[in-house]
Amino acid sequence: MKARLLVALLLLACAGIAASCRQKLAAAKADPLSRAYDTEQDWNDPRRVISLSYQQAQGKRVFYQYCVWCHADATPAGPSNRSNLNPMPPLANDGAVFNSLSDDLLRNIITLGGSAVGKSALMPPWGNTLKQDDINAVISFYRAIAQPFYQPPARPGPQYSVR
Amino acid sequence: MLPEEMGKVSRRFRKIFAASSVIFVAVLAVSPVRDYLRSWKRYERAYVRFAQSRPDTKRLLADFRLEISQIWIPKMDVVDRCTTCHQGITEPSLQDSSVPQPFRAHPPIPHRVRDWGCVICHRGQGLATEVRDAHETTLAWEQPILPVQYIQASCAECHREDLPQTPRLNRGRELLAGLNCVGCHRLQGIERPAMLGPDLTNVGSKVSRQWIYKWLKDPRTILASDGSMVVNGYEDEGEPRMPKFRLSESELVALSSYLSTLQKEKPQPYKFDPRVVAAWEKRPDLLEQGETRFRQMFCITCHSLAVIRAGETRLIGGDIGPELTKVASKVNPDWLVAWLRNPQAYLPHAEMPRYQWSDQDLFTVTRYIESKLTDASLLTDVPNLGTPTPAEVQLGRRLFLEKGCGSCHAIQGVAPQADYGPDLSSLGGKTVSQLEFGKAKIPHTLVAYIEAKVTDPLSVNAAARMPQYSLKSSDLTALTTALLSMSGSPATAGLESLILPAERPQFRPAGAFGELYERYKCYVCHRFNGYGGTLAPDLSFEGSRAQRKWIAEFLKNPQTLRPTLIFRMPQFNIPMEEASVLADYLSMVMQTPNVNLAGTETKSFTPDMVNLGKQLYAVKYQCQACHTIGSTGGYVGPDLSNVGNWMNAAWIEEWLKDPQLLVPDAIEPRRSFTDEERTALTAYLMTLKQSGAVQAPGGTGRGQ
Repeated sequence: MKARLLVALLLLACAGIAASCRQKLAAAKADPLSRAYDTEQDWNDPRRVISLSYQQAQGKRVFYQYCVWCHADATPAGPSNRSNLNPMPPLANDGAVFNSLSDDLLRNIITLGGSAVGKSALMPPWGNTLKQDDINAVISFYRAIAQPFYQPPARPGPQYSVR
Repeated sequence: MLPEEMGKVSRRFRKIFAASSVIFVAVLAVSPVRDYLRSWKRYERAYVRFAQSRPDTKRLLADFRLEISQIWIPKMDVVDRCTTCHQGITEPSLQDSSVPQPFRAHPPIPHRVRDWGCVICHRGQGLATEVRDAHETTLAWEQPILPVQYIQASCAECHREDLPQTPRLNRGRELLAGLNCVGCHRLQGIERPAMLGPDLTNVGSKVSRQWIYKWLKDPRTILASDGSMVVNGYEDEGEPRMPKFRLSESELVALSSYLSTLQKEKPQPYKFDPRVVAAWEKRPDLLEQGETRFRQMFCITCHSLAVIRAGETRLIGGDIGPELTKVASKVNPDWLVAWLRNPQAYLPHAEMPRYQWSDQDLFTVTRYIESKLTDASLLTDVPNLGTPTPAEVQLGRRLFLEKGCGSCHAIQGVAPQADYGPDLSSLGGKTVSQLEFGKAKIPHTLVAYIEAKVTDPLSVNAAARMPQYSLKSSDLTALTTALLSMSGSPATAGLESLILPAERPQFRPAGAFGELYERYKCYVCHRFNGYGGTLAPDLSFEGSRAQRKWIAEFLKNPQTLRPTLIFRMPQFNIPMEEASVLADYLSMVMQTPNVNLAGTETKSFTPDMVNLGKQLYAVKYQCQACHTIGSTGGYVGPDLSNVGNWMNAAWIEEWLKDPQLLVPDAIEPRRSFTDEERTALTAYLMTLKQSGAVQAPGGTGRGQ
């Protein structure tokens, strides 16, 4: 009788200790925008707000300084240069154009200019002006605002989850 | 004792001994078991299993050891153990968003995690090794993780200068300075400016008591959905700087009474030339002419007006000066004329330039303002206030100080109030126990406190004296970010040495140029050696860029240079002598050492060079994508049709080498031209000259 009680007590103690070791892992789920470094309004749907990471936010900054003039229909100064060019440059959020181009190709177009990859020479080379980080950031910004959405190419290797 | 009794006792002892041995072993086992079950160890073992499932296992586990890993930054007095669980934080192959947390790599940032750790930016407890202790507020650990939307606050820990990477923080600092928060609070890195709200010494000569009453009751009026407008002051991008005070009826009566008695001197009515009055008074196009001049002088570069466009009432124009839609119902007509002639006579710190008025312009423009920018029903809902009584005036004078009005507004003979509100220079470093939450139903964290306080000052303290600001949600986030960045003086000397201070350059030239610089307030829009506004081009190197003759012509007759920019330079009617003083100074003094004006000889340019340059421009480099010559080309860069009369050849050559060396935020990409190509392009551009380049002024105010 006594022995049984002792064993039960021991088991309880062990269970208690084990339980105290487990901490609550689920953190409060916050508003997704409060976890964003910056945001950008969807160009096609003004009600949708896209949250941007640090890199995408830097891309947004570079885009609105250098690229917006020819790759958007509305610019900070009002009129856009886009309709003025022939061939007309694609809109930055045009997923139909950009989603099929790899990051490497986009990097080359931006760095070396359109003529280096057999596209229009109206696209100047930015390799001397922008840092490699800036160019990568701009690409990540394009990916973030793409319509239809951009799906990154699948990576090799099985995916694993902690839980 | 009998042997059998002995046996009984020893059996009982044996039982007790056995039981206590089991308990002893169990107690001994608690410690290793607890140690084995520590959450960081579970995460580390999970990381090993995770790494084994990845193709680059070897690399991922190269530095792995089953122990607490930490980053120690002695200079900043920081020890971070975050990498104990966040094992993959520096692994480039774990950037993908499909990688489960806590193993995902940090997205690319300018600082290396190994050099700076985590808590310097993210806050939280670097020493903690339990999930909750590290990220949240618990009993012993007070500083929670900073929500990512406010993370730019941490950049200010070292970077006191505005960075291009932190737009939210910069906007918050701009708001803190622009809304004059330093009038009442002490803030880190923001000096109390000499110019606060308007000086009220003579306000009774400017506006009526009824208007003061209405303004104090609600200094910002929401534009009604039907387009009806009630008071000067609209809800728009440019916030009126005056916040709303919660004043009772008797306080409104007393304050309006006191302020309306502040009349040092009444403005003398200006005597217009009788010939001008006689000629214009009866003309049917008097108001039309006034409006035309009003537009041509580009008043809306700084002031805004409500207009109806496509059935929608909108404010257009700048936010440097106050909005003017109903200004004639606000100010006394004699005051208006006196103000336009010399704003600094009424308000020495006014940013408004002193225009050169002809009597005709002054007469037509003021007539236009008086009859068009007005609303007879503006003050109809103000009760009958009568004449100020001495009791009201006395109460008003007391209220002026009690409400903290003296923190922003000066009145001659009233001592300025400083530190009316609490010191906020170390608000961002405060712990929860130092904050008063009152009855507010908000999470007890510093972030929630600041958010609540700036949204509604009464929510955390019903007796707060702080007035109500109404800010857009993006501005609230920016303001909260800037307040969180006020972390007080650095805790260690090592930290102090890491701070990159903000530079506050001044540019106050003396002499004849200095006088004109003050008169036309060039620095309100233009920047000179890092000092001044950002609305208009930086003129620090104008002397290297533009030819002296062109500068003088431009000042007499400003016109747009860049097709995509909204043209905003007012026409000051600068006389010839003044234009040449300004042009002399700008061309001689405002130069960059990177451009040697004597180094490029335009005479050496040959027609062959010009032809080559023309080809390069049009075919190889396709400069017409961004630049216009004549009537064809792009809108991004400046119009080059007259560049031969405008720019110096040496500037163009240097510019083609590296535009960002001359203007750091220039849009033009740096191309790899050969020396020959560069000279050819310069030679071609210098041949582009328009005869009679001076166009009719104004008329090109695009987008306005």
